[in-house]
Amino acid sequence: MKKIFSVQSLISFGYFCAGMFILGGIWAGISKLTSNEIPSPQDTWVVFKEVMQQPFQDDPDYKGIGTKLFSSLGRVGIGFGLGSLLAIPLGMLMGSSTIAMRMVNPIVQILRPVSPLAWFPLGLAIFQDSPKASIFMIFICSLWPTLINAAVGAASVPQDHKNVSRAFGFSTWKYLTKILIPYSLPYVITGLRLSIGVAWMVIVAGEMLSGGMGLGYFVWEEGFNGGNVAKILVAIIIIGIVGSLLDKCFTWLQQRFSYAA
Amino acid sequence: MIDRSVITVDRDIEEVADALLKQAAAETSIELNNVTVSFKTPKGVYTAVKDINLTVQKGEIISLIGHSGCGKSTLMGTISGMVKATSGEVYANGVKVTAPGPDRGIVFQNYSLLPWMSVYKNIMVAVDSALPNLSGDEKRVLVESNLKMVHLWEHKDKLPGHLSGGMKQRVAIARAFSINPKILLLDEPFGALDALTKSTMHIELLKLWNLDNREKTIVMVTHDIEEAIFLSDRVVVMNNGPAATIKEIVDIPLSRPRNKKDIVHDPKYMEIHDRLLNLLIEKFSINDEH
Repeated sequence: MKKIFSVQSLISFGYFCAGMFILGGIWAGISKLTSNEIPSPQDTWVVFKEVMQQPFQDDPDYKGIGTKLFSSLGRVGIGFGLGSLLAIPLGMLMGSSTIAMRMVNPIVQILRPVSPLAWFPLGLAIFQDSPKASIFMIFICSLWPTLINAAVGAASVPQDHKNVSRAFGFSTWKYLTKILIPYSLPYVITGLRLSIGVAWMVIVAGEMLSGGMGLGYFVWEEGFNGGNVAKILVAIIIIGIVGSLLDKCFTWLQQRFSYAA
Repeated sequence: MIDRSVITVDRDIEEVADALLKQAAAETSIELNNVTVSFKTPKGVYTAVKDINLTVQKGEIISLIGHSGCGKSTLMGTISGMVKATSGEVYANGVKVTAPGPDRGIVFQNYSLLPWMSVYKNIMVAVDSALPNLSGDEKRVLVESNLKMVHLWEHKDKLPGHLSGGMKQRVAIARAFSINPKILLLDEPFGALDALTKSTMHIELLKLWNLDNREKTIVMVTHDIEEAIFLSDRVVVMNNGPAATIKEIVDIPLSRPRNKKDIVHDPKYMEIHDRLLNLLIEKFSINDEH
């Protein structure tokens, strides 16, 4: 176990502070150059504290930043969850069967490069409801990385493992649960990690388009339309921190499910 | 098993021979009839082994020896059922081999343990698949006794990645033994081990074989002459591939139990060793002339 207060982590923390200090300096410089059109770090901090008051207020006329954050996270969670539920088995099927690979792969290759935002109007047309359309958009865009990684994982099950399955007469179910899925799991988690990253990026754009709720709406409505650039900066910081925390979760999962051969 | 003491009894020699033949016929463990294995490759058909005939008795230990790529693993694959014979038939325990089965336990060259499962679960999953009719308790007893037999019970909860090569090999052997197969097939089982571990493993293997009243037939692929002599009743020397055939079958008439230290000074051992070496090295010199 790594100790939190080891010399190593103290040094890392020192470098982190130094980096933040330099960034803050550049930020303050830009703020000066634009004569406070871009608010300074101090001004942003004041707005930050203001935004952070009663973060979980949930009145019809005013919703706190925390409420907005969780509504965004909720939509990402549903879209990402549904997408993964489809992508993991489909990807493993593609990886295990050349027929499935040949059928599905061309479709994936065509749909994958499409900007997630292009799916939003389609979702709106289907569901007639902008939160559902955002979920649809997240669903689509979190399919691809998981699908492709699961397929790569399933396709690369070593012959040794397959031999064990044949030699001891594993049933199909046993092969799936004891060999294919455990072997593909690290690949799947890599796919999930990429997917959640994409999903978190896309939700902000989607909420700007859809309006109503979430962090994207906060950036657009209260920040830009409200003429409060500091709020945009606050939102960027919050989005960044939450995004990196999501990534950290999956990095941890990756380490948890990797095995020495 | 053939009781050699019978031969010393003063009886009509024909009668004895007849009885022995009958007994042998009844206890044939493995039979290969004109086995040929070919693979389709982009360059055309590649024949790995050709017209192999071999009969192995119950309780015999047989080594297949030859140079790399001579098709010894392929030949063993036809017995395990992992490789399909292109022509000819293979019988194991009196039944024609068409696929792998629980009557034949396999120990793979590179252990082939599943790295996400503990030692215990690696064996349990094999027992569970191969012997579905046992109760949960019977399975647990089987796994426990086999792990204790290879002295790994205290390591049962470790993942294979945390074991040494010799320990992994013992797990693989315990896994093959735990399904209690009549035939045990070992594909270069000790190839990756250092000399000291290897020697210990040889003795461990023979101990396991003894514990089971020497009833298991063991076929082993190796390219180690000393290993082949120490363990086997007969050594099958293969020609070089492609289309490898059996060059010669050498009997090892050394009495058991064999002692690793003493056996090397036995004149019979040295004679066999020289003979095998000649059989294998002769091929080198023919190749060198090209």
